[in-house]
Amino acid sequence: MIKKKITIKNSAGLHARPSAVLVKLASKFKSDFYIHSYGYRVNGKSILGVMTLAAEHGAELELELDGPDEEEALKAIIEAIDDKFGMKEE
Amino acid sequence: MTTSVTKEKKLKGKKTASGIVIGKAVVIRGKSKSITPASIKINQVDGHKERFHHAQNTLTEELQFMAGELKDENTREIIETQGQIIRDPEIEKSVFDIIENKLLGVDFAVYQTFCTFIEQLKESGSELFRQRIVDLEDLRDRFIDEVCEQKNRKAIPKGTILITKEISPADLVSFYENGAAGLVMEKGGITAHAAIIAKSLGLPCIVNAERATKEVLNGQRVILDADSGSLILHPTDKTIRTYKKKMEAEKAVRPHTCEEVYETTDGVSFKLFANIEFEAEIDKVAKSRALGVGLLRTESLLFGKRMRNSFEDQLHFYEQILLGINGPVTIRLFDIGGDKNARRPHKEANPFLGWRGIRLLLDEYELLRNQLKAVLTVAGKYPGRVKILVPMVSVLKEVRQIKDEIHVVQQQLISSGVKVDKNVPVGLMVEVPSVALLAHQFAKEVDFLSIGSNDLTQYTLAVDRGNERIHDLFQHYHPAILKLIKLTAEGAKKAGVEVSVCGELAGDEIGAACLLGFGIKELSMVPSSLRKVNELLSSRSLEEFQAFSEEAVALASSDEVEQLFEVWKS
Repeated sequence: MIKKKITIKNSAGLHARPSAVLVKLASKFKSDFYIHSYGYRVNGKSILGVMTLAAEHGAELELELDGPDEEEALKAIIEAIDDKFGMKEE
Repeated sequence: MTTSVTKEKKLKGKKTASGIVIGKAVVIRGKSKSITPASIKINQVDGHKERFHHAQNTLTEELQFMAGELKDENTREIIETQGQIIRDPEIEKSVFDIIENKLLGVDFAVYQTFCTFIEQLKESGSELFRQRIVDLEDLRDRFIDEVCEQKNRKAIPKGTILITKEISPADLVSFYENGAAGLVMEKGGITAHAAIIAKSLGLPCIVNAERATKEVLNGQRVILDADSGSLILHPTDKTIRTYKKKMEAEKAVRPHTCEEVYETTDGVSFKLFANIEFEAEIDKVAKSRALGVGLLRTESLLFGKRMRNSFEDQLHFYEQILLGINGPVTIRLFDIGGDKNARRPHKEANPFLGWRGIRLLLDEYELLRNQLKAVLTVAGKYPGRVKILVPMVSVLKEVRQIKDEIHVVQQQLISSGVKVDKNVPVGLMVEVPSVALLAHQFAKEVDFLSIGSNDLTQYTLAVDRGNERIHDLFQHYHPAILKLIKLTAEGAKKAGVEVSVCGELAGDEIGAACLLGFGIKELSMVPSSLRKVNELLSSRSLEEFQAFSEEAVALASSDEVEQLFEVWKS
């Protein structure tokens, strides 16, 4: 199992679209994916879970991956977060 | 002698399809609002879990179909998100947990699970997600509908009378094929889609029967007397005997047949056609002696268990209809939207004024071209018998665009060696007042016009035809409607194209009399109305109908038109 702290960079936070992108990406990997945030722990492959996080801009999240492809998965997820999930920011 | 505790009781409704039937009631209480926890046994757990997966698959298929070739990125994303929610592992986990550990039914498990998530989203306080809550509630209800439908689909005894709040046309047909013999709905006006289908299937039906699902118990013996618009609970033996006699008498009258040549007394010929939607109705068309199908609805190919949207499936369906019926068949392109299968990605504030009919088709090229390909292939195979009808046109540009599309698909078919009917007639529905007012301009662009009187009424009188609270305002023969129809008939005549009517108005005595008076000689209606309409139209001369319609169109209200008809007919 690996863990990594990250910060949400999208100006509107982890709203619907980035949440969808994140879940779609995470679901491609075999590893379990959980997100910790202010004492909550949600399944990162669950769109409703991620949406209930309501993570805003600057929110600090801890990613937890556990499984055969955890390294690969973490790398891809961090890249997506750094890329602001491919959103064009106005 | 034992005294009966329950007295005979009558529930009133509005008749939509006539007939009398005595049978056991099956009450369908689909909607989520009344979901209650029902215990299940351990050996039922797998079955309930199976139903969940089944619903998941059906909903996903529907979404994939809707997503199709969507150009609008926002819509596509919303649909993708809905798909993610349907397949959300946490939803499944929670649903299975409730089924396995609490031993409660899948419908409640889904309900409970969604409600929990909705609560959590509300608490998360994010405004953005709050807006999504309506979507989630919608998704929850669709899910529950889906898991319940499977339960409802269980075979029902032959001769059953369905008691329901409302029902989808596809479900109604399933029940019909399984032996349903009557339908009672709490909701819906007489033009509710399911009511129209009931009429077409010859199922006695009443609507607006308030509290029916609450008053009637499953398995109770009831009498549905659609002719007088009532449902009789706890009928006494005496009442049952009376009704049995009535039913026998009815049967004796039935064998009457229509003439296949339709003429007024002065020898002016007119044509009567049938409106249908399912193969199950083919027999009724033949029996009604209709000259063909004036309106083949196709929307049911797109949704639910009867989804058959692939090219091959559509081809098969259209061909079945052409094989089963003599004469021409007018195929209406998918008229999705409004009240029909309103499962859509966007909640629209005004779906009837929104993305429906041709508006949707022109955005969804794959859907449109796929259907055109199937329709045009069949048209080539049965040259001269297929007509294409375009729904919900409101501006001329749409007509030109659809004609271009038809041309493109025809060229594709020709280049791949498929025979086509180059002269396949293309017509448009006159449903929006703008088209009726400019009928001449529109008619010049097409081969025929077909007046959809239900929607024309709805759009002219600003009355939602599905809203039971205002069903009194939905007046088919309001002079304003008659005036628009007259204009349409004149416009079509000037442009030299045929005009027909395929709404409920055509199957109604007053309506049919007016229409013929306006010079509209092709009427398409539910098969069961043909006999009655023919009896009237063949009993007078064209001149008499003209006199009636001229007078009717000059009146001020629907009531006056009805009174005039009574006087005129007597």
